[in-house]
Amino acid sequence: MDSFEKYIKDNKQQFDEHKVDSAKLWKGIESKLNPPGIKTRRLWQSPVFKVAAGILIIVGIFSLANPSVFSGINSSNQNDLVSQELNDIDTYYKGLVSFQVQLVKKSTKLQPEDKKEFLSFMEELDDEYLLLKEEMKENLNNEYILEAIIKNYKKRIELIENLLEQINLPKKANDHEGYIL
Amino acid sequence: METNILHTHKELVEKSKSGDRNSQYQLYELYVNAMYNVSMRMLGIKEDAEDIVQDSFITAFKNLQSFRYECTFGSWLKRIVINKSINHLKLKKIALAPLENHEYYICEDINEPIENMDIHKIRAAIKMLPHGYKQIINLYLIEGYDHVEISEILSISGSTSKSQYHRAKKKLIQIINTL
Repeated sequence: MDSFEKYIKDNKQQFDEHKVDSAKLWKGIESKLNPPGIKTRRLWQSPVFKVAAGILIIVGIFSLANPSVFSGINSSNQNDLVSQELNDIDTYYKGLVSFQVQLVKKSTKLQPEDKKEFLSFMEELDDEYLLLKEEMKENLNNEYILEAIIKNYKKRIELIENLLEQINLPKKANDHEGYIL
Repeated sequence: METNILHTHKELVEKSKSGDRNSQYQLYELYVNAMYNVSMRMLGIKEDAEDIVQDSFITAFKNLQSFRYECTFGSWLKRIVINKSINHLKLKKIALAPLENHEYYICEDINEPIENMDIHKIRAAIKMLPHGYKQIINLYLIEGYDHVEISEILSISGSTSKSQYHRAKKKLIQIINTL
């Protein structure tokens, strides 16, 4: 750098010879910086909003690409309904079955062998019922499984009714016999 | 001192980023005169320079998010003003740098001494330079850019920038001596 260059660099400030009407220029700038912009710009530019929008977009794309996820939300709703239904069924039939099982157990008119056979049947149905309940959790075909559970309960009741009939039948037969006699 | 200035401006810049109009105004007041003079030196016309400065501040405030303190706010803003001024000259089809014979130019030492150095004379002489010379003198001597930066600003090669500068300086000294 020679003396000429140095002289200019040392006196740079003196090259700022112009004065500007800063108030006039500012008016023009302010008018172009959208006046109510302070709040709106903050909202759109805030990182939280960006993150939220990003998540929304990702979820949107994901659910479009995987309709099963979206339907999953619906089906979980449905699931609540189904499990509510299952609960209702359970409380109704369980009470009925256990009451009848107790009846059978207490019954003195039954042969121990018959009792044993009946209870083993009941256990089998119980196992089947537990299996169905497991399947229900895995969310296979809900309606179908629900139906199967009801059938399972009905079979138990039918079984118990048959048994009770058998208990009562000889009695009637005996009565009949007695009557004949 | 330097870091202190940077720090106080950083607060203003950060507030301006979030849209605080008062901070934007303070930044504007700090820099408007310097930026206006930069543009005036490039363009030489009051109205054009005002438009460029206005436009530059609007651009700066709207794009402040992209300012990452890689340089001072002032030099970032100045680059915007310079670029806009250059684009303005391009639109008006005013030559940015005369390119005639520059490839064959051999850098000579400037032997011609300056009789008496006077800032007013130098200022007057710069204004009398051809447009291309004036730009390069302004960018190198007054705005303080190096030849690499000038080559980016004017879209010329670094060697062209150097040779043009030497020619411009020679011419400038000649003019000063005639004043």
